[in-house]
Parts: sequence; C-alpha cells; structure tokens
Amino acid sequence: MSKDLKFLVVDDFSTMRRIIKNLLHDLGYTNVVEADDGKTALPILQAGGIDILITDWNMPGMPGLDLLKAVRADPKLAKLPVLMLTAEAKRDQIIEAAQAGVNGYIIKPFTAETLKEKLDKIIAAMGK
Amino acid sequence: MSNLAVLKVEYGAYVEALTEALAREDEEAFFTALDHIVHLREPQMFDEIRKLTGDLQTALERFSIESRLVDFAENEIPDARARLAYVIKMTDEAAHRTMDLVEASGPLAEKTAREAAALQETWKFMRLRLPAAPDFEELGRTMDTFLSDTQSNCEQVRRNLAEVVLAQGYQDLTGQIIRSVMKLVDELQKALSELRELSGGVVEHAQLGERPPEGGPVIPGVTKGEVATAQTDVDALLSGLGV
Repeated sequence: MSKDLKFLVVDDFSTMRRIIKNLLHDLGYTNVVEADDGKTALPILQAGGIDILITDWNMPGMPGLDLLKAVRADPKLAKLPVLMLTAEAKRDQIIEAAQAGVNGYIIKPFTAETLKEKLDKIIAAMGK
Repeated sequence: MSNLAVLKVEYGAYVEALTEALAREDEEAFFTALDHIVHLREPQMFDEIRKLTGDLQTALERFSIESRLVDFAENEIPDARARLAYVIKMTDEAAHRTMDLVEASGPLAEKTAREAAALQETWKFMRLRLPAAPDFEELGRTMDTFLSDTQSNCEQVRRNLAEVVLAQGYQDLTGQIIRSVMKLVDELQKALSELRELSGGVVEHAQLGERPPEGGPVIPGVTKGEVATAQTDVDALLSGLGV
C-alpha cells in the first residue's frame, strides 16, 4: 500500500534529484516526480496527487523554506508531509524549519539508512 | 601673533555684533553678523574640500597605476566566473555519467544473482544423479561454492553500486560552495566597477606586463590561444612535427 506513495523531489541540482530518485527506487517507491525549485514545485503540488514532498533548502528562485511555508499556508496542502534534505546545518535554520512545520530534516551528505529511517517515520505518522 | 590673536582680529567684531544683536533682539542685525562670519569661514572650507578632492584623485590615480584592479574587474573576474561555472558543469556531467553506468550495471548483477539461484536449484537435483566418480565429487563441490558465491557477490556489487550513487552527492555540495564563491566574485566585480565610475574615468587600464600562460585544463571560452580538444589533435600536431 505505502509503496504506491507519490513523491515530489525538489532540488536545483539534477544529480541530487537523481540520487534521491535512485534511493527511493531501492526502497520500493517508484512513483517519483521532480522539480528544480519551489516555484516549479508549487504548481505540481497544487495539481494534487503528491503524498510526500522531499525538498532542498538552498535553491535559486524559491528556496525550500519558502516552499514549506507556502505549503503550510495552503489549506489544501497544509497537511502534506515535508522532508527537508539540505546542506544547511545551522542550528537556527533547523529550528526555523521546525517552526515552519517540517516533518523531517536530513543533512547532506546523508546515507540511505538515514533517508529510510526518516521516511519510515513520516509514513508511519501518515497511518498508511 | 598667536592663532587666538588672529581669530580675535578676524572674528572679534562680528561676534560682538552677534551678541549685541541677540541682546537687542534685532534679528536682521544678527543674521548680517552671522553671514559675515560664514563668509570668513567659507574659503577655508572650500580649501579643505579642494584638498580632499585632490587626495581622492591621487588615490584613484595610484589605484590605476599600481594595481591591476581594473583588469581584474573587466577580464579576470568574468574569466573566474566562467571557470567556476565550467567546474560545476564538468562535475555534473561526471556524476551523471557515473550514475548512467551504475544504473546499467545494477540490473546485470541482479540478473546474474537470479540466474545463479535458479541454477543452484537445478544443480542440487542433478547432482544427486551424478556418477559416484571422485572427479564428479570434486566438480560438484566447486559448482556448489561457485553458485552460492555468485549470489552473495552480486548482492555485494549491488550494495556497492548504491553507495557509488550516494557518493555522487559531492556534486551538489561542491556545486553549492562554488556558486557562493561565484556570488562573491560578482559582488567584487560590482564594487570595482563602482569604484571606477567614481573616479570619473580617471582609472585606466593598468600597464600590464605579459602574463605568464596559465596551466591546467582547457576551459572553453576562457583558455586563450589554440588548444587541442582531443587526442587526435595532439597526434596530428605531433605527426606534423615529425614525432
């Protein structure tokens, strides 16, 4: 059931999107779409059908934190689980993301185990 | 005469007039006296401004003569930007190429592991029917080991390939660092251009000596002069030289 989940992966580096896609594939999640910043991600989210959002923070255009805030401010998307996967590692930033309502926070460079652990937690909380 | 005595001679009468006007509450007389004082001060102020302007001009001239900053702003900084952008492009291509190969290799390892597992089943069954000759006994054991090793090795290859993919994350991290340096370089260029404008065209190109040729890989759009872009170019050039 949970393997049908649809992911949106947002990162300005195509290498990183591909890495995350590969890891999700290894975990059995094959339904993955991509966007390269918050601006291109929002219409995809608003069109509906995305179950989990994985986003980078530092992106030109619309950064991940702004995307997270936009998601939480949109009544239709407000409950969407958001996992932040970023090189931003300052304590203040992590707190800021938490206050904005992030569901998980992974610091780059990361391991496949970390991604699996955080995703399992998010999915368990989704009750699927 | 001391400085103070000079001031008394120059300003004394006006200061008195100023005080008296205030005491009389005579506004017109007050401003007349004040205007005299201001007129006395003005030449000094202008002198100072003139001196400051002169200093600034000298500083800006020195800036053009003694430094290569103008050349930095106009040529080297855009070059530096192009170099950094090229690094991002190269690492991006290398990371994707690596992942292309990993994605092509993973299924091969999986297929080999699957086929070894299937063969192992058949082999277990067939082995019981082999003639009880010592040679066959030896072959049987070798085959057992080979088939089970094939499966575990393929599994290890698959895990290694997953790590190879994850390691390509360096491209994102180094790319982000390079981008922040590019931003810094942009700001430096802007600051230098502003400084140049401020000088009102006083700052000209510094007299540059011939710069030594730079080493390192060819950067398209940056590396000057004729360059070999492929080994065939090198071979052709060398054979033309009789090497």
